[in-house]
Amino acid sequence: MKDLKHLYYLENLLQENNNELVRQAREQGRKCVGTVCYQIPEVLLNLPGCFSVRMRAPRTSSMEMGTYYMTSLTCEYCRALLERGLEGGFQFLDCLFDPASCSQMADCAENIEKLELCTAPGFFAQHVDTPMKDDENGVSHMVNMCRVRVLQKLHEAFGVDVSDEAILKAVELHNEVCGLITELGRYRAELRPRITGYEFSVFCLATYCCPKDLLLPILRETAEELKTREPDEKPPYRIRVAVAGAEIDDPDFIKLIEDTGAYVAVDRYCFGSFPGRQRIELDTESGEDLLTQICRKYVAECQCPRYMNTSKVASRKAYIDRLAREYSCDGVILQQINFCNFWGYERAGAAHVLTTDYSWPVLSIDRPYTVGMSGQIRTRVQAFIERVELKKMGGNR
Amino acid sequence: MGKAINSEPLGKFYKGGKTRTRREWRGVQDTWYDYTCWLHNWGSMLKFLAKPQNLKGFLHYRWMQNYLATPDFIDRHTEGLRGPQLRVAHKEFDFIVSHVCDTMSAIFAGDAAIGGKEEVRRQTVVMDENMMTQIMNGFPNLKARCVQIPIVYMPSTVQQEGVLYYIDRAQEFGIPGDVCPMPAAELGAVLEDDFPKTGICALQCNTTCDGSLMGNGIEERRYGIPTHQVAVPIRYTDPATRDYAAQEIKNAIRFVEEQTGEKWDWDYYFKNIKNFNKETEYFRQWLEISRTEFPQVIGNNVALYRDAYYQVAGGRDEAFVENERQICEIMEKAYRERTPVVSKVRHRAILWGVQAQYYTAFPLWLQNCWGIVPLIDMLSLTSTDIYSEDDKEQAYYDMADMYAKMNMRNRSEGGYEVGVEDLWRFCEEFNADVVIMYEHIGCKSMTGYHGLFDQEAARRGIHLIWVTHGLMDPRKASRQSMRTDVNRYMRAVLGEEPLDPSLEEFDDSNAW
Repeated sequence: MKDLKHLYYLENLLQENNNELVRQAREQGRKCVGTVCYQIPEVLLNLPGCFSVRMRAPRTSSMEMGTYYMTSLTCEYCRALLERGLEGGFQFLDCLFDPASCSQMADCAENIEKLELCTAPGFFAQHVDTPMKDDENGVSHMVNMCRVRVLQKLHEAFGVDVSDEAILKAVELHNEVCGLITELGRYRAELRPRITGYEFSVFCLATYCCPKDLLLPILRETAEELKTREPDEKPPYRIRVAVAGAEIDDPDFIKLIEDTGAYVAVDRYCFGSFPGRQRIELDTESGEDLLTQICRKYVAECQCPRYMNTSKVASRKAYIDRLAREYSCDGVILQQINFCNFWGYERAGAAHVLTTDYSWPVLSIDRPYTVGMSGQIRTRVQAFIERVELKKMGGNR
Repeated sequence: MGKAINSEPLGKFYKGGKTRTRREWRGVQDTWYDYTCWLHNWGSMLKFLAKPQNLKGFLHYRWMQNYLATPDFIDRHTEGLRGPQLRVAHKEFDFIVSHVCDTMSAIFAGDAAIGGKEEVRRQTVVMDENMMTQIMNGFPNLKARCVQIPIVYMPSTVQQEGVLYYIDRAQEFGIPGDVCPMPAAELGAVLEDDFPKTGICALQCNTTCDGSLMGNGIEERRYGIPTHQVAVPIRYTDPATRDYAAQEIKNAIRFVEEQTGEKWDWDYYFKNIKNFNKETEYFRQWLEISRTEFPQVIGNNVALYRDAYYQVAGGRDEAFVENERQICEIMEKAYRERTPVVSKVRHRAILWGVQAQYYTAFPLWLQNCWGIVPLIDMLSLTSTDIYSEDDKEQAYYDMADMYAKMNMRNRSEGGYEVGVEDLWRFCEEFNADVVIMYEHIGCKSMTGYHGLFDQEAARRGIHLIWVTHGLMDPRKASRQSMRTDVNRYMRAVLGEEPLDPSLEEFDDSNAW
């Protein structure tokens, strides 16, 4: 297929946290809000006057300093973030919101705070308790914490407008970005897809790491471009897979899978589009305040294994099954970063349930943070492809 | 050989295999006392086995064989002790032996897998092992049973290889080897169908940690009874979380009421909370004396016992209150007489982090080998608040507070202030110059503060000795490797010689 016009630009842009668009937004006087997880509604961190950047550590090689502070026994994603912070890579942040999503990430955020690695004037780190169940009590807790620890804090520290009008404006921007990403992503359901999983992951990732308004022209143009993009006559893929699991903030991992012959038709991982890139439909007539509606949506849609109530535990597997069917997948790849407690259990449990209850062929892998060139992962994906192909030849899914 | 502490080399008991001869000579009075306690414990266990239902359970479950090492477990935890410390240890550990026997009898009585009675099951609410049990303080007709405790928690303490089979089983299922072995072992036991089949409903909790809560989801599939999850705030020190936490308690109570048909009884709750408060007052006295030059209830004599009454009994068992009153009497007398707990106090230490389940006698080794007095440990430094004995609305908030401050969890979750800052406060309060810093290989909670601990300890001039272990899996770090961590520091940094050289290095890799 012909290269997408903005792909190369975004690939380069994503090599840095403090990228060109982030710098541009800061020069406009907007405050940069660092965040480490899906848990706090992203739209609340993108009110007029501020924008969110989901923190990453691209081009990570050694993590020696991060390992000194957090030991070699913790998640490499957290260590890599700390390493980047120690290198001075998060100086551009005006504040950091940590949703206490997991112990390790909370420790990482506290290390960044206590070691004073962000020196922007007035910088603060805010730790926000977020719910672990999706019942009404969980929703009201989320609403309370977002009101007290997010909106109030942003207003007090930076004078950010947190009125309903401002929230509506942020939702509008969010919805436009999500609409475009959904449009791009739907092409992956085609049997001769006009966008690769890798390309999509680059565009999707950019929406988490750049000011959304500045990214919009690129997304709009790409959506137009894709309408007429001619897919390859014969797709270079042998099977179609859904990739689910923990953080993938490096599109090279998707590239590795696709280079091996498995088309990544759908993404259910942190930094992916499911969930996170769905429109927020607000009902201004319902009488329920906007914040509650937003929080309700985030709590309901969250697929993080930290949500522990029975219905949510079961629905996570059903969600993967639904996506994999919708995007005509042949198998599911479940992946996690080493030392992740949540995904360590969830991966094992989901692999069991998806295989036994839903009859999916599953590849279950734990991996280091950076895997772009991993021969080991490549070999496992190759073996999985052969396994799925053999099953298909036998007439079984 | 004699009455004095450190009068005989204790390393002689370890010869590379199972320890079979452990009788220490502690002087006539102490040796006789220890011997009668040994007989009493055998009596408790034989009485337990004499019940046909218990014998069935013993023959049915593989984890029961671990309890054959119970006498050795008691001996390990009384090694080298004399006088009041020996008596306090027996008061506690012997009490735990009979308490565990009673608990297992009650579980087996309703266990469907071995023909237990339906009516017992209908009165049983299965509780998560890593969970406070005060929600049951208002249900006089129901029994809370933490079924994982006799299967996983106790066996790994009694016998160092007690749960390795279950850890391996969980890994065979696909659980990575880098997670905490405790929930992994629980999961392994569930996968093996080695859980007694009891209970009308179950309560699970997100305490202690991420790993613990994640095991629950898979375990619930196997329980096959209605299950409710209690989600305690992670950032529990934030006042903005309190309403939510109290509502979680209300929801859990409602769930139990719906499932069992029982009604919450405030009189029963406040009666139990009075017991709990009384126990807290006793504990405060222990702490008060531990801050002085003559601490009395220290190390092993705090850790396991506090777990039992604070978390598991939760005020519902008045026998604990009486036992603690007797312990306080012994302690106060010993303090008045200025009785030393070690032959020579070299250092006063706080034990921080999570202890190794397979080496709960490690604090005793610190005393006997190096003269390091283990004043208090992190797991025991839980809530010392006195809770309301008459205010019903406040009681929900109190229970929420107790749940947030569950053993270990109140330090390993909750942030830097409770996990790191508080340590230095305790060092000052207890006049400690050493911190034994447990580093549990599979624990992701405290490990992330490693560098901050190091830097702050250096700044404050506190000796921070890292002791690495694998919680329930001695294959990851043996008991000797834990001792070596201390030995190296004592020799290389502090230039000291051990009080008992026979304990510096010995082979207990195959011991119980």
